[in-house]
Amino acid sequence: MNKLTKASLFLLGFIVLGLILNYFLNSYIHAILISFMINAVMALSLNFITGLADQFSLGHAGLMAVGAYTSAIISKELLSDQWYFIPLTVVAAGFASAVLGFLVSLPSFKLKGDYLAIVTLGMAEIVRVLILNWNHVGGPRGYNAIVKFPGFLWSYSFGLLVLTITFVTFFRLKKSWFGRNLWALNEDDIAAEVMGLDLVKAKRSAFIISSFFAGVGGGVYAHHLGYISPGSFSFLISVQILIMAVLGGLGSMSGSILAAFILTILPELLRSLPTGTVDIRMIVYPVILICMMIVRPQGLLGRLELIEYFRMKKWIKS
Amino acid sequence: MEEFFQHTLNGLSFGSIYALVALGYTMVYGILGMINFAHSEIYMMGAFMCYYFALFMGFSAPSPINFTLGLLAASLAAGMIGYLVEKFAYKPLRNSPKMNSLITAIGVSILFQFGGQIIFGANPKSFPTLIEDKNLFEIAGSQIHLIDLLIYGVSALALVGLHFVIYRTQTGRAMRAVSTRSDMTPLMGIDNNKIISMTFIVGSVLAGIAAVLVSIKYPKIDPMMGSKIGMSAFVAAVFGGIGSLHGAIIGGLLLGVGEYYLIGYGASTYRDALSFSVLIFILLFKPTGLFGSKMKEKI
Repeated sequence: MNKLTKASLFLLGFIVLGLILNYFLNSYIHAILISFMINAVMALSLNFITGLADQFSLGHAGLMAVGAYTSAIISKELLSDQWYFIPLTVVAAGFASAVLGFLVSLPSFKLKGDYLAIVTLGMAEIVRVLILNWNHVGGPRGYNAIVKFPGFLWSYSFGLLVLTITFVTFFRLKKSWFGRNLWALNEDDIAAEVMGLDLVKAKRSAFIISSFFAGVGGGVYAHHLGYISPGSFSFLISVQILIMAVLGGLGSMSGSILAAFILTILPELLRSLPTGTVDIRMIVYPVILICMMIVRPQGLLGRLELIEYFRMKKWIKS
Repeated sequence: MEEFFQHTLNGLSFGSIYALVALGYTMVYGILGMINFAHSEIYMMGAFMCYYFALFMGFSAPSPINFTLGLLAASLAAGMIGYLVEKFAYKPLRNSPKMNSLITAIGVSILFQFGGQIIFGANPKSFPTLIEDKNLFEIAGSQIHLIDLLIYGVSALALVGLHFVIYRTQTGRAMRAVSTRSDMTPLMGIDNNKIISMTFIVGSVLAGIAAVLVSIKYPKIDPMMGSKIGMSAFVAAVFGGIGSLHGAIIGGLLLGVGEYYLIGYGASTYRDALSFSVLIFILLFKPTGLFGSKMKEKI
């Protein structure tokens, strides 16, 4: 089988899956499925900067917020709420976040160390406060009645398309010369610099690419729910994205998708636990995170992709 | 002018709280090179421990003795919690990459916040009146409250105590040594683990003191109270130059005063954004902070 037949088989499979899901499952499952795709896009985006380039970002919720609001505002104010423009606005959202990512990268990479974490943390907070004070988009009340896709099949296919593009982009980037540069500075930044790698430029490009996809994720999010508020992009969302990237394995793209799947399903299964008003996710997540760091710090897959992981298992056995 | 003076006084009182909390961040950063995200939760636990201590002892009338006892209980409890967090969450990761301990710190912080909501309840609790607030005297039209004076006094005492510990005792000397060259100190007969634990305890005690001081001024405590003050205090530490003790104190005071001017002159909804804007400007123009020294890269 060559690559083309493989790809078209996959495509066919996903379309059949979508049709099955559309007719046999209720809208609750549909909503979970779409939010899994959004989570996976966000986790992939964070994994690229944190896993590959070893730069810690704690503000992906802020980038997501910028993407979500950009996409929502453009489709409402400029494109008069037509759903077929959604792909366009989502790309615009990505570019808006990429611009913000560039601005954030200016102060962050002046020094070595965890400065990106601090600056992105601040950036997310500033974005949140600015949106809170911006009355035109509803301020704390949130932004309402954002245009949605007309049916599940549409949003499923679009989500899948975005997820596939994100995954393929990051997967290819990981294997490219650029990805290898990032691996090098991750392993030993001094040695990488001596080999002629411009550290600041590499980190900055990585962060801008990551920001772009975070914005895209935010755009999909806005058009999935139809309602966004500053509260939907709090620090805890950044942490949630981080946990997905860490659980799957920093540096493993398919691991991020796997972890996003697990961590989207798990809280839904735990909904029946008696915790009162407290969000159960926020107990489960940190426990997973701490145990993970002590017992298996490399995450589920480590740096390997899923296929490589199974190949490795086979190789060890033989 | 009167208003200005009043804002300055309020800002200084809040700034000294920031300074106390920022010291915990800066000390841990100086010695381990990691941002201790759980520090703000130790602060929160200090307030809650004092609350339950007062409940347990049945403090009814406010008195200086109750205040002192509450302060002692909170700082002891906070020190203990800081020690335990270090022992169970950070120590197993001592030799793994820095990223891992950072992630663990975030995990511990969130676990405390939401575990606290389950154990203590998510609704705010009203902190007992440990000491009665009085209007002591007026200077240039601004009133000086007893509580504000207490905040200045206790934080000044705590800072003097810290200075004594760091610069006049064997432990303090060992702490400074570990923060300079942690790979050499074992050869000098210093037990690094013990010194790191001590650093966490000292930082946590300061956070516990700060928690009680804030709670008697704003008597409402809830499990999320740490996160906001923690962020600001952390910014104060970076502002002053992370790793530098005096920097943390000055940074805390400046940030406190700045925030009160912002609130006083009508931009209170932007308060949370101020500290982070300061942070980004600092990193843009003087990334080492006010008093930080640029570390030379060792190969």
